[in-house]
Amino acid sequence: MPKINFFKKNSHSKSRQKQKIGISRKQNLIGWAFIIPGAILIFLFYFYPIGKSFFLSLQGGAGLNLRFAGLANYKRLISDSLFTQSLFNVCIYLLIQVPIMITLALILAGLLNDQQIKFRSFFRTAIFLPCATSLVSYAIIFRSMFALDGFVNTILLNLNLIANPINWIGQPWTARLLIVLGLTWRWTGYNMIFYLAGLQNIDPAIYEAAKIDGASAFDRLTKITIPMLKPIILLTTIMSTNGTLQIFDETKNLTNGGPANATLSVSQYIYRLSFEYVPRFGYAAAIAFVVFILVAVLAMLQVKVGDKR
Amino acid sequence: MKKKLAVLFLINILIFAFSGLTAAQSGDQVTLTVWCWDPSFNIYAMEEAAKLYRDINPDVTIKVEETAWEDIQTRLTTALSANQAATLPDIILMQDNALIKNVSTFPDAFYDLTNSAIDFSKFADYKIALTTHNGKNYGVPFDNGAAINAMRVDVLEEAGYTIDDFTDITWQEFIEKGADVRKKTGKPLLSVIAGQPDLLMVMLQSAGTWLFNDAGEVNIANNDVLKEIVDIYVELVDKGIMVQVNDWDQYISSFNSGTVAGTINGCWIIGSIVPQKSQAGDWRITNIPRLASVDGSVNYSNQGGSSWMVMANSKHPQIAADFLNKTFAGSIELYETILPSSGALATYLPAGDSEVYNMPQPFFGGQKIYSEITDYAAQVPQVNYGVYNYEARDAVGAAITKIINGQDVDKALQEAEETVKFLMW
Amino acid sequence: MKISKFKLALYGKYLFLIIISFLSIFPLFWMFVSATNASVDVLAGTLLPGVQLKENLTKLLANTNLLRALWNSFKYAAAATILSLFVSSLAGYGFEIYHDKGKDILMNILLLSMMVPFAVIMVPLYMMFGNANLLNSTAGFVLPTISTAFLIFLFRQSSRNFPREIIEAARLEGLTEFGIFFRMYIPVMKSTYAAAAVITFMNAWNNYLWPLIIMQKPEAQTMPLLISNLTSGYVIDYGVLMLAVAISVIPTILIFLALQKNFAEGIVGSAK
Repeated sequence: MPKINFFKKNSHSKSRQKQKIGISRKQNLIGWAFIIPGAILIFLFYFYPIGKSFFLSLQGGAGLNLRFAGLANYKRLISDSLFTQSLFNVCIYLLIQVPIMITLALILAGLLNDQQIKFRSFFRTAIFLPCATSLVSYAIIFRSMFALDGFVNTILLNLNLIANPINWIGQPWTARLLIVLGLTWRWTGYNMIFYLAGLQNIDPAIYEAAKIDGASAFDRLTKITIPMLKPIILLTTIMSTNGTLQIFDETKNLTNGGPANATLSVSQYIYRLSFEYVPRFGYAAAIAFVVFILVAVLAMLQVKVGDKR
Repeated sequence: MKKKLAVLFLINILIFAFSGLTAAQSGDQVTLTVWCWDPSFNIYAMEEAAKLYRDINPDVTIKVEETAWEDIQTRLTTALSANQAATLPDIILMQDNALIKNVSTFPDAFYDLTNSAIDFSKFADYKIALTTHNGKNYGVPFDNGAAINAMRVDVLEEAGYTIDDFTDITWQEFIEKGADVRKKTGKPLLSVIAGQPDLLMVMLQSAGTWLFNDAGEVNIANNDVLKEIVDIYVELVDKGIMVQVNDWDQYISSFNSGTVAGTINGCWIIGSIVPQKSQAGDWRITNIPRLASVDGSVNYSNQGGSSWMVMANSKHPQIAADFLNKTFAGSIELYETILPSSGALATYLPAGDSEVYNMPQPFFGGQKIYSEITDYAAQVPQVNYGVYNYEARDAVGAAITKIINGQDVDKALQEAEETVKFLMW
Repeated sequence: MKISKFKLALYGKYLFLIIISFLSIFPLFWMFVSATNASVDVLAGTLLPGVQLKENLTKLLANTNLLRALWNSFKYAAAATILSLFVSSLAGYGFEIYHDKGKDILMNILLLSMMVPFAVIMVPLYMMFGNANLLNSTAGFVLPTISTAFLIFLFRQSSRNFPREIIEAARLEGLTEFGIFFRMYIPVMKSTYAAAAVITFMNAWNNYLWPLIIMQKPEAQTMPLLISNLTSGYVIDYGVLMLAVAISVIPTILIFLALQKNFAEGIVGSAK
């Protein structure tokens, strides 16, 4: 955009613009200088191996015994019931979990940015803690709470909400619900931190002005907070979309993909194909690239909608 | 011409000198690195073996690096796939159920022990079958996975039974008596982790069959033994003789807390039974039930177990093989040392006759459990776990979950077979 | 009437926060309680502190090299955090402040780098480091973690609310572009830096797969690998395990506590 502007202006008055060309070009170059170190490292340590694994995805066979197979791995995917099952599972997680978590994180960030609330630093720390809690201990306690004779069933039985204990981990949909709960529990505080940090960059004078103008709390949320936080909301949405479609820790530790693969995630399937089963890195890479395209398309849509300046 | 000859001569001398130098070095100090897991069991045993070997060959130092099994597998697969085998150690401990997979995937990665001095006939036959691929021996069998039926005799007594009533029996008898115990005491006799087919596989091996036939083809959908086993499994659950739990910690807790009056597993499960000191004296072990209708089915089986392997990339494979030969494959003394403090039971058969193995164990009411287990190990039927063992295990685990939730047995097993076939292309 | 309604809403907010906080803390509380209990009691689900803490600690120190693992984890996490905050915030600033079409496209391309599971690029990456002779080296450990698309994107998005007047004013005062970044941008954006530091430290501290394969020497063992070893025995001592995981989360909590006031101070407070 700025480039077009400068060409237009350039035709009008050359001498005055000459100086500006200099700065603009210089600034443009300086901008690249800021970017280059980070970009090079990413190309070196991410894109180079990604490129290599793309070539791997065109190779069939197991272990070291690989040969070029064209798109055979990709064709195979269509008839792979474990792949379609795992893709279905992660899409369910994405559809249910990400909106809930983002909304909850926004509400919590709004509450904890409110000067009226006391003990904010306590609440902030408490809500952040789940993502720091070790996966090992959280998996053990989650599974025991949702066991047949666990805490959750005991409470529901005592409240007469259910007649018989629910086999949470043993049934496909309740097990998926557990994964959604687990994800939300662990990552809501994590996302909240970004919102809180983002809120600190908003000038309080804007809120003061809105208050003077008589804006209600709801108005301030929808007219100031959310628009100002939009870049960060975009960030967390892309991160969560990516994280959920690549979910691994939760399904491995909470349900280990069970019952009967009802919670198996794509990443867990990739891991099994690479390190538990007879290793098939080519096929595993093909699966990864299908998910890659899915995440990339979703992320680009999100950028299109949410990244307007 | 003379110059050239002189140069060649010089080079020859240099090569000779260097080769002499390296030879001298290898006669000096040798460090063998070992990857294995579990400080109170495998690592302890390895360190004792190192002490023993120091007297035989003082130049060799054994360096044990604790590494969890899953971590060993990840490093192994990554390093071998990336052609970086140099980073791997000299000796690794390998889970038996993954051994053939790794050997067949990375044929040149493991040192062939067939022509070393190791006498493989001194180990239980079934362990040798698990460590042999294409007629070559790749592992020195170590820990014992012989299946045991561990039971709380105080609970049995309450229902009017003794441990002898559960010895040398069939699954049908187990179900009858188990239902009776359940009725009289309210306690199930077994617990299993839902979706994990370990018990099914213990039963399969007791009948000498597996999820693959001898030719390595999948043997799930038309496996009549497996179908009968599945029926028994479902009956055990339906009659409340066996409860399903969600994970390993709940499984351990089910018998530690006394909710369940027994368990069937590899003999290494003893290590998780004895920490519950309030149950001391109440436990006994016996052999597992057999399948009445299957010819050749016995009261013995296996679950888990591991073996030592030498990496082909080791700088001193012969020394590593010699170390294993003189310790794990040749020293009763070693097994006598490691048993009392670690309960580390081996599959080295000569050790079973030693005095230490015949010591009565107070936790088990004075039963000589170790020599009994060594006897069991000698009678475990041979099966070949095959290259695609993990694939089949997961598929059967999914099938048993579906069956317990009401799906037709044939359909579920058919799906499992198709899944494994798909993964075997 | 209006006041009571306001009060009611306030109480509702407190109730909501208390419930969420309770749910959030409970597993952590259980973890710390379990660290003081014997394995059998941990499995029985005891919620009361026990008397086994000393014994668990003795066992943990006897069976593992806890201090070495803590130090290794800390060293790598600190190095990764400092380096990646610097490199990524530079890039994020560059992407936003000097944005044009080319840079926007590059940013989108960089985002693609995080969309492939690590398990898939692990072998090529390992091969690369093996060929460069960087296996078992600190550089090998830290290099791939320095620049992440996520952090760059975080700083780019956060920079959108950075007041441009500050830049204009600084330019008029004769500050160089890098001078503006160091003297103006970093202090103003400290809440973003704080969030990024907490998250990056935590991720580096918990990093599992890459350290597992790149650092194979026991001298370089980190906390996640130590914990993996504790769960790998035939018999798992849950009391000792819980003590180890409890110790391993303390540093992240301390970092959070140290930096969390930055999530409360507004932009005005930090500009001073």
